[in-house]
Amino acid sequence: MAARPAVGGWLKGKTVRKGGALPSNTHTRSSTPQVQSTSSTVFGGGVKDASGRTSEFFSMDDQCPVSPCPICNKVLRKLAFTPQTFEDLTVEKEVAVRRRIAKEFNKRREDFPDLRSYNDYLEEVEDITFNLINEVDVPQTEARIAAYRAENAALIELNVQREEAYAQNLKEQEEAERRERELRASQLRREEEEEREEREKDKREIIDKLESSDKNAAKLIAKSRANALKRSSARAASTTVIQSNAKLLRTRAATDIPDVPHVPFNDNFYCYEDMYSMRQGYDDFFSEAVRKDREGIMRAGGYKVEEAWERALRFAVAGLDLAPLVGSEGVQESFPPPTESTGDVVMSVS
Amino acid sequence: MDAVEKANTERQKRWVKDRKVGEGTYAVVYQGREASTGRKVAIKKIKVGQFKDGLDMSAIREVKYLRELKHQNVIELLDVFSSKTNLNLVLEFLDSDLEMIIRDKTLVFLPADIKSWMAMTFRGLEFCHRNFVLHRDLKPNNLLISSDGELKIADFGLARDFADPGYKMTCQVITRWYRPPELLFGSRYYSSAVDIWSVGCIFAELMLRIPYLPGESDMDQLKTIFRALGTPTEEEWPGHTKLPDYVPVGQFPKTPLRDLFTAASADTLNLLSKCLIYEPRKRITAREALNHPYFFALPYPTFPSKLPKCSTHFNSSRPLEEVDGNVEMNSTGPGVKARNGALKRKLTSPADGEGKGRSIARRLDFSRHTPGS
Repeated sequence: MAARPAVGGWLKGKTVRKGGALPSNTHTRSSTPQVQSTSSTVFGGGVKDASGRTSEFFSMDDQCPVSPCPICNKVLRKLAFTPQTFEDLTVEKEVAVRRRIAKEFNKRREDFPDLRSYNDYLEEVEDITFNLINEVDVPQTEARIAAYRAENAALIELNVQREEAYAQNLKEQEEAERRERELRASQLRREEEEEREEREKDKREIIDKLESSDKNAAKLIAKSRANALKRSSARAASTTVIQSNAKLLRTRAATDIPDVPHVPFNDNFYCYEDMYSMRQGYDDFFSEAVRKDREGIMRAGGYKVEEAWERALRFAVAGLDLAPLVGSEGVQESFPPPTESTGDVVMSVS
Repeated sequence: MDAVEKANTERQKRWVKDRKVGEGTYAVVYQGREASTGRKVAIKKIKVGQFKDGLDMSAIREVKYLRELKHQNVIELLDVFSSKTNLNLVLEFLDSDLEMIIRDKTLVFLPADIKSWMAMTFRGLEFCHRNFVLHRDLKPNNLLISSDGELKIADFGLARDFADPGYKMTCQVITRWYRPPELLFGSRYYSSAVDIWSVGCIFAELMLRIPYLPGESDMDQLKTIFRALGTPTEEEWPGHTKLPDYVPVGQFPKTPLRDLFTAASADTLNLLSKCLIYEPRKRITAREALNHPYFFALPYPTFPSKLPKCSTHFNSSRPLEEVDGNVEMNSTGPGVKARNGALKRKLTSPADGEGKGRSIARRLDFSRHTPGS
């Protein structure tokens, strides 16, 4: 230790042994280490362990000791520690190097005018990676990386963003798929539940029926089986609908038949309206009861005698245009036979 | 083989049954096609044997009214023929219904979509009312959607023509959640306004994506309605306390529709409130509704083919209720039909004005031949 340069020795994490001689020009509380102490306790701050390393900190003045490896002279920081993934440390190292390189050398095929230049680029990247892994010309290689970084800063940033957007997109897609899966699963569960309930209900029903009815037991059971089958096929059909429905909605929006303004009536059914006009009221024998209606129950029930009057009038005028029947003698006396044109149901009583 | 049978066989040959797509209480539904053109159809085979007193009432009603009604927004009855003891209705094939679309939470409705569906519903309903037919079972389930997005009113199993003055009708119609208060109070004399209430409920459901007034029982239905719209006063609805099944169910304050339908425009809420007026005679008619400013305001109603729809694969899995209208007995739905037997839809219905006299049909002929030829 003494062989090392004294300046900043403490800062570099040099172990300060109790009572050990130290150069007086250390920046730290200059006298602290020198003070003899019977225990490993302390003053002015840090708690030191047996080796003299500060293990606890008390005041802002206490500084974290950074200690390089005594052999390879490397500074290790806890922050840079990572859990080991690979048993073979060379692999671990290669992965770490490649990860670091990939962060900056992130050009894509699209960034090159031709395949040749892209391949050249890939080769260069591989070269640099190899150098770093195998520690060949490290300073020069680092210089190359720095130069590349300076040259392509904008493109690197752009590609990072692209990458992020792609990742985001993927995440959303996965999320949507997951939701759909969950929906389908919950639906399935619900259906199963329903099915189970129905089966229970059926069972109860069969038992009830067997109890109360005198029908054939086998028949009853067969009937309820048929019912269950019907239900399950209906359910199977309904699930397919749900899946195809989104598609249906889309096709619906796609069609471009224009909606037309409302037209109250679109039939030209002739009702003889031109052949009569309704009066306010008619003093006919048939509707007397309704017109009087002392209790008002027909009015309260909504019976409309006007509708009956209109019907009578229309039926009366409907026949006016018909030519009188022509036929064999004697027909006039009897009732006219049903004409060809009436599609009425004819009942022949034997 | 007489002429009638011959004609029937000829008709039967026009249609090919491909596969069974569902079975209800009174019908089996097949997907089929027209033999000559390959056009897809639904063939509804009515089970006759089950009913001691002949044909099921709803089948008769369906044939009776669908034969009359031909409109873009009403399901088309293409043909009727008999096979052995069964009656077969050949109906237009439609792939989905409005209920499936409302329930499909993956579909997004735009205000213009709702406007388009409402316009088509009102057009179909107006046509029924113009022809003096009450539908009496409007609900999203019975509004079918064709492959080009056109909405069609279906299931005329509870339909009837307007009653003559003084004739009673049954009040046990319309699926509970869509049933107007006058029917819940047991009124036997009602009008087209009952269908308008149902349309109002469907309108609200299109906006909310859940049934607007889901009562758990008939009594609860009244409560649910009053909770949403306030208890009607004598002034608002004169005479309602005199209705046969009137029961006071408690006083509920009126809450503005705006509180629930926060995103709806003023026009929208105006039309909705007019569909849900307590006094039936004051309720908007289908004709008036089609001329309501809501339909003329921007945005324009969506062109039908652009309306949201379920994928076709799903559709083929449950076409029964669409074409049949008969809720399966073990269904948990609130439908009146699920109330096994409670609903008078058979021929024997004493309260029902229709079906008098001709209660037995032993043989049916749907050809255009004059009898005896």
